[in-house]
Amino acid sequence: MARYAMVIDLKKCVACHACTVACNVEWNVPPGFARTKVASTGAIGKFPNVMESVFVSQCNHCDDPPCVKPCPTGATFQGTDGIVAVDKDLCIGCGFCVEACPYDARHIDPVTNKVDKCDFCSARLQRGELPACVETCTAHAKFFGDLEDRSSEVFRLVYDRGAKRLETDEVAVGPNVYYLGTEQQLELVAARFAPREPRMPKAGDWWSKVVKPLVFAAVGATFLGQAVAFFYQLWHGEEQFED
Amino acid sequence: MGGTRRDFLRSAAVAGTMAGAARGAPGEGPAPPGHHGVTPVHTIASNCEMCFWRCGILAEVENGKVVRIEGNPDHPLTKGRLCARGNAGIGLTYDPDRLKYPMLRTGARGEGKFRRVSWETALDYLAERLQEIKAKHGPEAVAFFPHGVASAFFRIVMEAYGTPNHAEPAFAQCRGPREVGYALTFGQGLGSPEPVDFDETRLIVLIGTHIGENVFTSQITQFAGALGRGAKLIVVDPRLSTAAAKADWWLPIRPGTDIALLLAWMNVLISDGAYDRDYIRRYATGFDRLARHVQGLTPEWAEPITEIPAAKIRATARAMAEAKPAVALHPGRHVTWYGDDSQRARAMAIVTALLGAWGRKGGIFLPTPISTGKIPTPPMPESERGRADGAGDKYPFASEEQGVTNGLIDATLTGQPYPIKGWIVYGQNVLESIPQREKTLQAIDKLDLLAVVDVLPVEQTLYADLVLPEATYLERYDMPHVVVTAKEPFLAVRFPAVKPMYESRPGWWIAKELAKRLGLKAYLPWETPEEHLEMLVKPLGVNPAALRARGAVKFPGRPYLENRRPEDGPLFPTPSGKIELYSTLAEEYGFDPLPRYTPVEDPPPGWFRLIYGRAPVHSFARSENNAILDGLMDENEVWVNDEAARALSLADGQMVVLENSDGVQTNAVRLRVTPGIRPDCAYMVHGFGHRSPKLHLAYGKGASDAGLMTRVKIDPMMGGTGMRVNFVRLLSGEEAG
Repeated sequence: MARYAMVIDLKKCVACHACTVACNVEWNVPPGFARTKVASTGAIGKFPNVMESVFVSQCNHCDDPPCVKPCPTGATFQGTDGIVAVDKDLCIGCGFCVEACPYDARHIDPVTNKVDKCDFCSARLQRGELPACVETCTAHAKFFGDLEDRSSEVFRLVYDRGAKRLETDEVAVGPNVYYLGTEQQLELVAARFAPREPRMPKAGDWWSKVVKPLVFAAVGATFLGQAVAFFYQLWHGEEQFED
Repeated sequence: MGGTRRDFLRSAAVAGTMAGAARGAPGEGPAPPGHHGVTPVHTIASNCEMCFWRCGILAEVENGKVVRIEGNPDHPLTKGRLCARGNAGIGLTYDPDRLKYPMLRTGARGEGKFRRVSWETALDYLAERLQEIKAKHGPEAVAFFPHGVASAFFRIVMEAYGTPNHAEPAFAQCRGPREVGYALTFGQGLGSPEPVDFDETRLIVLIGTHIGENVFTSQITQFAGALGRGAKLIVVDPRLSTAAAKADWWLPIRPGTDIALLLAWMNVLISDGAYDRDYIRRYATGFDRLARHVQGLTPEWAEPITEIPAAKIRATARAMAEAKPAVALHPGRHVTWYGDDSQRARAMAIVTALLGAWGRKGGIFLPTPISTGKIPTPPMPESERGRADGAGDKYPFASEEQGVTNGLIDATLTGQPYPIKGWIVYGQNVLESIPQREKTLQAIDKLDLLAVVDVLPVEQTLYADLVLPEATYLERYDMPHVVVTAKEPFLAVRFPAVKPMYESRPGWWIAKELAKRLGLKAYLPWETPEEHLEMLVKPLGVNPAALRARGAVKFPGRPYLENRRPEDGPLFPTPSGKIELYSTLAEEYGFDPLPRYTPVEDPPPGWFRLIYGRAPVHSFARSENNAILDGLMDENEVWVNDEAARALSLADGQMVVLENSDGVQTNAVRLRVTPGIRPDCAYMVHGFGHRSPKLHLAYGKGASDAGLMTRVKIDPMMGGTGMRVNFVRLLSGEEAG
């Protein structure tokens, strides 16, 4: 079984943002949101002794993804290839997974009201294509492949060149986005972008974000179902409907 | 679709599908509905024009609409990669604010009131006005401001009409000084894309060039590739740019003193005896005079001028000496900064020569010409009155091919050397790209005709008498892109992926229709784009259909001195036939034959020198209304040093207004307080602060650096406008008025 992973070389990345835009266009991500983001640690130090690092983030498709458990409908799940995905039909937009993600890699799409995030471009993988961000990366700084495949480039970068996971002693959930960079870059990034503790839903959240919307959705669905049936009968006549 | 990367994962995916359960792996479920995978998509190979690098694209078309643009893996230079803007190209074509119909002005200039007219009416109007001006003032009284490849056909018509007056900001507001400085030294300029051999280099030197924020796809690929291979990097920049943050040596230089740094580098290379002696002996003249010139110009001399420690100047010079000749000193692109820019370019060229890096692996490589077919036309008329912009005359080294925009504006304002009565502005944004906006507006006031051909209702269209809506690059054929400054020269084509929207029309069609009305049909002697392409590529032995399918075709190159053949012409087409370290041509025209540092002013206390640059997600002042890119960056910020901000009690994130020495103020703009900039500079990204209310997304967002450029310093060698000569102060909310 595959274990998909990405390696991002911060030494090569020049923060051109091509990945973000390719992804946004590929997945119709609304303006102001992104599945993969380019950021900076900001300049640190005192002029002229200043340092800074670029940083690129997205869903880490963790070995032990904290976003899966709190999902009340099972919309967020992890496949056997390690990809953490969202079944949009099941998602109710409660946002529990957004809170749970230690890397803040998820957002609620304001157009669909459902959660959205990187899925390693599953649909593209299926067509035999690379993720959109990897394919367009002007710096050739993003690498994608299967860590179970010893001949893959990501295997080489992780096991031979020592690409690092961004995790801490407190939050170690096995992210599958790895980073290469200078020692200084990796230190700056670890200090600024370390994962946070997952925030799990409290009892009250369940009522306001899950039960209430579900009840309304159920009532709405019942009503909608009746309406559809009514018009269908009007149009097609009773006999056909009985078939 | 070629390329192996597309098939990279195919075998893995297929294997997975066989093993996968229904919900086993998300990569194996049905493709989501949307723009992919449902209706058939066909793909057109073309090239991008979100900027002028023209990367290879594949436009994916579904139901007559471009739904996605990806890189074309068959493009010789960009090989399937695209930048943020290239990926966002559909945001331009489907921008609801686009110019949709030809329009004639009904209100006052600047008011933006128009009536819609037919193309027939619009073109008749234009042809009549042009004939009137010609009859009254002569054809030279019409000035043409082209930019971008689509204007190439129109330019043929304007030359045939009889005006020698055409100018684009690519010269006097951008690359001109660099072309002059290198041409005086090596006998030829650099061209675009810059032939910098990042692929083979051991050391990269950037002076003000901020690769990463300034994005040209293939240049990024090569630059990042070099860093990945372990090439060293020296960045000279008053600001900690993205590139500077990656540098082995960051030299935060005092603005305007680069020539002093370059002279000190020469001093070290020569006094250490570390320059490329064989190369200089074989190829160069004027070495002894150069050596005498820089004798006392030591790092210690340069330290108080540049505010770079002498030890660092020496260390960087030695790093270059060690890596020579594989040193890629990037010549820069927008280099009209301080008015002595051609001399700075000369100094950069001399350092390149001392390192033996011109025409050598890892340095600057040489162009390889391609001969496309010649389209038979009548000869172009010769103007008796000559040019009005000063190119070749007042500005002896200005390019007559590209012209001096500000020279034409001056001529329009003063009526000297003769009156200019009509402007045709084509794809250029004269109010944003050329400094001294008020002067440009005064010149526009003097015109009998201002016609603008554009895609978007940018500010200048509000002043136009006639507005012609051009099709976007995804909707038109253009002059093929011939690139000689690639190691393997190539020719790439642009063909429409979709039909022009609204009543917009491609440039070639507009040009042909105007030519017909002016009786100049013979200058565009072809009927269709296909016919035009065939005439151009026939002598190259290229099959046009195959070319269209792949998007580009490449030829063998001769990039290094040792590959050159007699048909490439002389190695160094200078007067002496050698690299002129001492420029006899400059001397002949009364300029310093060796570059000299001229002192620069410091801003008064509490003031900053305004410097500016680019953001990776925008192109000049062209892309701010693109919804996809606006979603990523909808305004600029002004960067100020943290200690300088503290002294002025200004805080990070607060809104400020910039005011220059002439009292011009900007929109309020967010302050970015950072230790990553010198305390004497304020930096902002160019292109924001749009003033046309017809650009619904971009209007009023951010601040315009161009608006603050009320002062310029003209480069006397070529007429370029030095634009980093304005001082600004920062006013917090209450102080601004």
